[in-house]
Amino acid sequence: MKTEIILSGVGGQGLVSTGEILGQAASIFEHDLYATMAAAYGSETRGTFTKSDVIISDQPIGCPNIDKANIILCLAQVAYDRYVDTLEDDTVVIYDTDSVVKKEGAKGKHIGYPFRSMAIELGNIQTANSIALGVMIKQCGVLHADTCKQAVAARFAGKDKVIELNDKAIDFGMSLE
Amino acid sequence: MAKVIKKFIEGNDACVDGAIAAGARFYAGYPISPSSEIAEGAAREMPKHGGIYIQMEDELSSMNALLGASLAGKKSFTATSGPGFTLMQENLGLGIMSEIPCVLYVVMRSGPATGAATKPAQADIMQARWGTHGDHNIIALSPSSVQDCYDLSLTAFNLAEKYRTPVLFLSDEVIGHLRETCREREFAPEEIFNRVQPAPGTTQEEFRPYDFSGTMPAPMPAVGDRNLLMRTTGSTHDEKGEFGPGPANINKVTHYLTDKIDKNVDDITIVREYKMEDAEVAIISFGCSARSSMSAVDILREKGVKAGLLQLVTIWPMPEKQIREVLQKVSKVVVAEMNLGQLAKEIRSFNDYGCKVLQANRTDGVLITPQQIIDALEEK
Amino acid sequence: MKSYKDYMLFNKLPHTWCAGCGDGIILQSIAAVMAEMEIDKHDIALASGIGCFGRVDDYLDINCMHVTHGRALPAATGIALGNPNLTVLCTMGDGDGATIGGNHLIHAARRNINVTAIIANNYNYGQTGGQYSATTPTHSITSTSPYGHVEHNFDLCKLAEAAGATFVARATTYNPVQMRKLIRQGIENKGFSLIECMAACPTHYGRYNKQGDAAAMLKRYNELTVPVEKAKNMTPEELEGKLVTGVLVNNPRPDYYTMYKKIIDEQSAAYEAAQA
Repeated sequence: MKTEIILSGVGGQGLVSTGEILGQAASIFEHDLYATMAAAYGSETRGTFTKSDVIISDQPIGCPNIDKANIILCLAQVAYDRYVDTLEDDTVVIYDTDSVVKKEGAKGKHIGYPFRSMAIELGNIQTANSIALGVMIKQCGVLHADTCKQAVAARFAGKDKVIELNDKAIDFGMSLE
Repeated sequence: MAKVIKKFIEGNDACVDGAIAAGARFYAGYPISPSSEIAEGAAREMPKHGGIYIQMEDELSSMNALLGASLAGKKSFTATSGPGFTLMQENLGLGIMSEIPCVLYVVMRSGPATGAATKPAQADIMQARWGTHGDHNIIALSPSSVQDCYDLSLTAFNLAEKYRTPVLFLSDEVIGHLRETCREREFAPEEIFNRVQPAPGTTQEEFRPYDFSGTMPAPMPAVGDRNLLMRTTGSTHDEKGEFGPGPANINKVTHYLTDKIDKNVDDITIVREYKMEDAEVAIISFGCSARSSMSAVDILREKGVKAGLLQLVTIWPMPEKQIREVLQKVSKVVVAEMNLGQLAKEIRSFNDYGCKVLQANRTDGVLITPQQIIDALEEK
Repeated sequence: MKSYKDYMLFNKLPHTWCAGCGDGIILQSIAAVMAEMEIDKHDIALASGIGCFGRVDDYLDINCMHVTHGRALPAATGIALGNPNLTVLCTMGDGDGATIGGNHLIHAARRNINVTAIIANNYNYGQTGGQYSATTPTHSITSTSPYGHVEHNFDLCKLAEAAGATFVARATTYNPVQMRKLIRQGIENKGFSLIECMAACPTHYGRYNKQGDAAAMLKRYNELTVPVEKAKNMTPEELEGKLVTGVLVNNPRPDYYTMYKKIIDEQSAAYEAAQA
């Protein structure tokens, strides 16, 4: 059982943090799961394309770079454009309809929501990634919402309000059809 | 049952945790990409454990500060990458000649010179082996996972202490920045090797800081020992540590320093075999390339090819015996590495068996892919 | 009562230095100060590099670490931080201390590492035939400046002062009594001390620059010496080419280890509390 997730967007969207929560949930709070995250490193800065490859598996993981992803999260058009022509029929594309326009006739299972608008409605724009996280948890099948919440709680230890908001966002993401 | 903490961290951070768990209490270094997280981690963590972090003015001084602190009894380490490693070479030699233990984490990047400073490479294999001048020998380990960064840190410090020599920890940008599941196990006291001390009651008259008679180093009291004065030097010296540049002594010291590692090769070398039992073709690799090699083996096996992987965890001394066994056993070997064939040349030097030795090389700063390794193997 | 002899290895004599070299006077001064202070030799460590004066450790019966050219100060830094209870000396020539290792000098001074650096300044690389160093005066003849030296030379004491050394002093081999006093004060300063010891090299620098034999060079030191107290009332023009001796800087502040130890105490206590 192996799930390969690409988190893509532009610098400053918190993709590394989202990847870390996935990785921490799998590595620390799930039983006997392995995770890797290969994040872009170098001169990438705020506003330019960036991505992280996250692999979660019940077996030791070989190459940490993803060739064919099961799930691709796209939070920016530049990121979506990069992947749209590589999609296969069973690739799940989760995208932010506030900033990404779906290509007509594109392959893959497209799941789009206005994550940023939803986050504002939920009380804090910074929870947009947690809503997307909820959607990803549901799609990937290897992780549980509980363990992701534990990872969030560990990450924001002492900041109860932040934890509560993110938990709410994860639940909200999970509830989306 | 030893305490285990599960983490999801970068390889560079696991190096710091592993070094501290292995007993390191002194860090001197000069930050350089892609190793800087080790410096930052040491600055953050060392004082919590009573240790010291000092950022020196360059890598020359870092190496000497390491050796000085180690001589004063502290297990010491530094971290660097290509250009900084080059600057350390002079005094890496000092550590070898003076026989002072320490560990150098070298997170390899694309070169030469500034190169592509943030991109991975594995092109310092020969710099590690021959970077410092003169006949000498070196121990170098290469991690292929974040778990290795933690676990092999203990191995690195233990080998340094046991053989009284600097040990290289040849990581790379991929492993250094890879975040991964890591189980940090508290090391039991009996697993941690501390440098041998002189027998109680040894007098200054009897004491020798060096012993060239066998293949193991002399006991090493710290500077500040209550009973014995310590003397080390980078000049060719006699067993009292005094200047000794006579022809016979130069020859003796040269042979001793190389034999110390060559004759203990079985104790030092670590390899891992993956699906080698029934392998008909093999990949030989190390570090980040071993990860892609492992995936390549899985893909090949799915296709019905009996492939296996020999991973060199110890790069130096080269695990000649294990490499020869593979060359003898299989018909084809691919050496997968992110350089233009530094390891492949070494492997070929052992090929007395007519095995076809092929290369999968990558030098564009992108992790070598499993497909590229498979393509190299399937080449006619 | 201890003697300087208690700190020396007499079996290693005669020493390697040329007749008339000033380095032996500095060696004896160092040994005499250790005796005067009655320091247990197990509590002293000395780091030295390469050059005539780098060989000083050959003759001292204390903990010694002989390193590469220019790197004695970083090695001394490591020893001093590795075991802060030690008295750490660092012996260098003008090659080690001012030229190839000049960068380490300013940084050790700036950090206020608890090390006493003793630099024997003979204006040239004596051990290898008299090439010029960073302290060689302009117009001097050396084996690598046969037509006269075109570079400006460092004033090591001013350099160390500007870099933040907490104790800086200069002595010449003409006055070993003063030299001993200054080395002792340097050791007693908890922080970075520099003692510049002017040591004649009659074999190379003296010969190339026609300064006469060892005795003539010593006399010359005496003629050029201006005690710091007297120098205070002299103009820069009057001090041109002179050797100002005595304590030039005595401005203590907490050393690196003292500062860092506070962080260790705070952080280790917080860490232990979090673990409990």
